[in-house]
Amino acid sequence: MRTLRAALSCVLALTPAAFAAETIKNPDTFVYATIGDPDSLDPIWSYDTASHNIIANIYEFLLAYKGSGLSVKDLVPMIAGKVPSKANGLVSADGLTYRFPIRKGVKFHDGTILTPEDARYSILRFLLVDRDGGPASLLLEPILGVNSTRKNGKFDPEIGGRAFAAVTVDKGDLVIKLARPFAPFLTILANFGAMTSKDFCVKNGQWDGQAATLEAFNNPRREAMIPNEKADGTGAFKLERLDKANKQVILLRHEGYWRAPAKLRQVVIKVVDDFNTRKLMLQAGDADAVYGPQMYFPQLQGVPGAEVIDGLQNLERSSILMFTFKMNPTANQNIGSGKLDGQGVPPDFFSDKDVRKAFAYSVDYDSYIRDILRGKGRRTSGVIPASLPGGSEPRPQFKLDPKKAEEHFRKAWGGQVWEKGFKVSFVFNAGSAPSQTIAQMIKKNIEALNPKFRVDLRMIQWSTYLEQTQANKIPVFLAAWQADYPDAHNFAFPIVHSEGYYAGKQGYKNPKVDALIDEASRTQDERTRSSLYKRMQSLVDEDVPHVMLAEGVRYRAQRTWVKGFVFRPTFPDMPYGGYYYDLYKAVK
Amino acid sequence: MLKFCLKRLAFLPLVMFGVTFLLFFCLQFLSPEMRASLYIKDPRQLSQLEAVIEKYGLRKPMPVQYAIWLKQVVRGDLGYSETAKMPVAEAIRAFFPATFELTLLTFFPILIVGVFFGVLSAVYKDRLVDHITRFVAITGYSLPSFVLGLVLLMVFYGRLHWFPPGRYTLETDMLVHLDSFRHYTGLLTLDCLLNREGGAFVDVVKHMILPACTLLYISVALLLRITRSSMLEELSKDYVRTARAKGLPERVVIRKHALANALIPVVTLSSLLFIGLLGGVVITETVFDFPGIGRWGVQAAQQLDVPGVLGSTMLAAFLFVMANLISDMLYAVVDPRIRVGG
Repeated sequence: MRTLRAALSCVLALTPAAFAAETIKNPDTFVYATIGDPDSLDPIWSYDTASHNIIANIYEFLLAYKGSGLSVKDLVPMIAGKVPSKANGLVSADGLTYRFPIRKGVKFHDGTILTPEDARYSILRFLLVDRDGGPASLLLEPILGVNSTRKNGKFDPEIGGRAFAAVTVDKGDLVIKLARPFAPFLTILANFGAMTSKDFCVKNGQWDGQAATLEAFNNPRREAMIPNEKADGTGAFKLERLDKANKQVILLRHEGYWRAPAKLRQVVIKVVDDFNTRKLMLQAGDADAVYGPQMYFPQLQGVPGAEVIDGLQNLERSSILMFTFKMNPTANQNIGSGKLDGQGVPPDFFSDKDVRKAFAYSVDYDSYIRDILRGKGRRTSGVIPASLPGGSEPRPQFKLDPKKAEEHFRKAWGGQVWEKGFKVSFVFNAGSAPSQTIAQMIKKNIEALNPKFRVDLRMIQWSTYLEQTQANKIPVFLAAWQADYPDAHNFAFPIVHSEGYYAGKQGYKNPKVDALIDEASRTQDERTRSSLYKRMQSLVDEDVPHVMLAEGVRYRAQRTWVKGFVFRPTFPDMPYGGYYYDLYKAVK
Repeated sequence: MLKFCLKRLAFLPLVMFGVTFLLFFCLQFLSPEMRASLYIKDPRQLSQLEAVIEKYGLRKPMPVQYAIWLKQVVRGDLGYSETAKMPVAEAIRAFFPATFELTLLTFFPILIVGVFFGVLSAVYKDRLVDHITRFVAITGYSLPSFVLGLVLLMVFYGRLHWFPPGRYTLETDMLVHLDSFRHYTGLLTLDCLLNREGGAFVDVVKHMILPACTLLYISVALLLRITRSSMLEELSKDYVRTARAKGLPERVVIRKHALANALIPVVTLSSLLFIGLLGGVVITETVFDFPGIGRWGVQAAQQLDVPGVLGSTMLAAFLFVMANLISDMLYAVVDPRIRVGG
């Protein structure tokens, strides 16, 4: 047996694995093994990270962020020759008209030259084709002052004319006139509104740019978009092939790129569902970077030939404990009897601030950071991340304090909560280990306060979650928000504005908060905006419509031979995928 | 025989209608919001959920939804699978050949190993070979495929780098997508040979070895046990005793007399195994990153991709009917006393 083991050891020692670390596998090819396959490579359809990562490498936007930059000051010109500002005269005095000089000599992958008309068409197509659930509203809001091209589900016949008047070409410049001053406008253009070739789009059955045909192309079905096998951008990489059967996308270097060509010749983005397979691919050098969720961090540490870059902070608000102020009582099993009788809660249970505060004092924030965020997170309190102008530095508002929790429960609902008790469901998404742990933590802490208190944990599938959220049936839940563009408005509006996504679902409305957010979005001066957001945050702190638990960090697992990685917090699928133009492979 | 086959084939559309109608009916128990989740991937899109429901007609009565789908099918359009990101017919064409190749590579070894060792185990009942065979069968049957798959992958890929996961390497990928590479059959191994690309052929086979071994080990157990028990039953019958008493060599008794009769349940089980493999083996495909039809079918079901579920179910129903037809015909080959015409 000992001989057999020794022989096996010799065989193993002489295998290629022993040499794997010395030589670079596929030196000019970068392979990224991930979990999400792209939904669509048509920039006007895509609104998911996996697709957007590929799009942002094939196509280019008018502007981009320099390195890890986040503010308007960090914007650099891409297809636009300059970043418009009042100082360079490309933004009008009233902050409504933006002029983008279009860079000359930029070639699409098919060899044709990008023209200002292509730029105009790209923005108009993004605005007006406007599929349900798509990203068009990001530009519709600032440019046309609406969130959709449809009214009551029907195409608005006037919208085309308004858009044509707002987006024009003048002396080789793309000119965009806003409906109202909108401070984050430029930051949106660094991530959305990819430049496409009008000819290419039309040849592929897309809108011809005429007002008369617009309605026929508005709100299309998925099948009507540019096929995923085709793309024609100006980016550093061109789409070689989208292999749906093998779930991989292959990009090739664009030799006619307007900057120096990329160092990598080829990029392969491959979907590998199983984490262990991805890890083995990284170990074998068949993958240069892999996607790995937080819980797999320890498993990726110490993989021979690989490194883990830790502590990367994405622009997001993760783990927000949300309270629904007014729930739908119809067939709602999450609120038990629907009354404050110890067997349920009334639909407006969380409209009482004391209930919300009692829950806030029942969260063990330190354990959350220590156990779930691997000690890498930090407490946070504000709606807007600290890295953005107007953001709040971590200033914990609550801590685990059973005495204070009891105090607020005793006051809640005129003392009835403490006297009669309650039964409520904490709902979380299936498969989310952090959510489950937080839910268990809150259940344990609240039930320990009073034997009449009962928090049921309900793990539900995404589809059920959608259904119950839509119907306002979830009393308390964990939410997260990832930025579409790096601006305070993209956090403040969806999280606490009464018309925003989360506040709207919760039924939270504070007119003063709404007014401050609206005013801040119109204000160009960063200092004034910051002060408006800080006032907004004070009001939110007072109201406690939600509780921010903590902000975590992410990590990137890659081969040590991968060089040039720059963490760009606003770039799609960071830090796992990346901006492949930055990357190359070398031993040292 | 021809009449029997035609009769069975005529039954096929009816089976498919029944299966798809039943599925449609079951899906109606899910709310339109739940079914719309396929098209909504991010909380940022939730405000437009109602519009999505309207657009895809998810609130229409079930018979109307079914009639729309059926009308499309009659026109040759099986719909669009959101999980595969392609039309259903195209998805079947894309995923089925890989599964078919893996099935072929796995099924015949299963058959050979299962029958051979099943017979051996019965003939040498309670001897060492029987004990070993039974042990292998029991461990194979009770070992979860993802555990075995992972262990094989860790040793033969992670450590030895012999058999990588996936369908092929980057080099083969480039080769098979060249214009000069002709896809005669859609089966990659065969196409590689027909294109005289020996290296690519070896590469494709190498990628199928580990999934095939996993499937072989977990699937052979049942066949082995059935063959053994069926063989034991036959060996204890009077006609075998008579054959032995007549002085026939043991080899002839086993091969010509007992085995022929013992094969009937084996044929039934083999056809079921074949269907099971053709329908795709989700866990094995996932662990080995093998782009087969099973993984697509399950993802379609998980994500409530109605056209995807219906397409893969129709394929499964078709395969089931066909495999049953073939096994019925094989009965007659194995045992001439059985006639299939009636």
